Amino acid sequence: MRHFNFVLSPLDQFEIRDLFSINANLLGNIHLSLTNIGLYLSIGLFLALSYSLLATNNNKIIPNSWSISQESIYATVHSIVINQLNPTKGQLYFPFIYALFIFILVNNLIGLVPYSFASTSHFILTFSMSFTIVLGATFLGFQKHGLKFFSLFVPSGCPLALLPLLVLIEFISYLSRNVSLGLRLAANILSGHMLLSILSGFTYNIMTSGILFFFIGLVPLAFIIAFSGLELAIAFIQAQVFIVLACSYIKDGLDLH
Amino acid sequence: MPQLVPFFFVNQVVFAFVVLTVLIYALSKYILPRFVRLFISRIYINKL
Repeated sequence: MRHFNFVLSPLDQFEIRDLFSINANLLGNIHLSLTNIGLYLSIGLFLALSYSLLATNNNKIIPNSWSISQESIYATVHSIVINQLNPTKGQLYFPFIYALFIFILVNNLIGLVPYSFASTSHFILTFSMSFTIVLGATFLGFQKHGLKFFSLFVPSGCPLALLPLLVLIEFISYLSRNVSLGLRLAANILSGHMLLSILSGFTYNIMTSGILFFFIGLVPLAFIIAFSGLELAIAFIQAQVFIVLACSYIKDGLDLH
Repeated sequence: MPQLVPFFFVNQVVFAFVVLTVLIYALSKYILPRFVRLFISRIYINKL
């Protein structure tokens, strides 16, 4: 029996590949390409929209199972917006928060399909979203409150002597929101996929070593199934955490402290 | 680490923003108002 032993890095699954591209002298020789991340993001968009189309249920009052699932997502996101943002002024941001939740959730779930691609494990994608949200919240704060926005960096009731230090700490924590919001999502998805990839390679090698090892390999296989369930939960939890924090950052811009 | 290869950074960001923009537009224009209409009609049915 021939064995093909080749070592694949667990990071190989995240490699971005050019599927097809236009290399013509067009628009200032711009490199237009459809990559695998672009393809999977487009598939995610298609799935999100077709799920919404299925959940319309021909505008019937009595819901079917698709519309019950979407109404429960609606209720979850709505309660987050009401609680974290503002019960009246926060409604304005609901479509954005809902779209963000669906976008992250669909892309997290697509990543869980074997041999597919986890778009949300890419730091640039998550950072671009988190930096845009925090920058937008900062603009919102300046638009609403003008220079009073800087009172966000002054904790209430702090002694005057400690003020410079506390303002510096608050400013650094405000800047670190940008990084922490994006990093949390990408790092969670990345680590989960790497863990599953390493465990499955390990299990495959054990189970193909002999008949006795096949049965021993059932133990790590059970772990893989358990971790897959955990990853499914993480896909939902991380989407929720992202929008909860986005709401609280927008709230800081809206209401200050 | 493939995440740190800068060649496709612009591609990723452009795709992410285009997809997110389309999603926000479709949801806020067509899908979420339908929910509000549905909830309002349910409230009317209950109250009447």
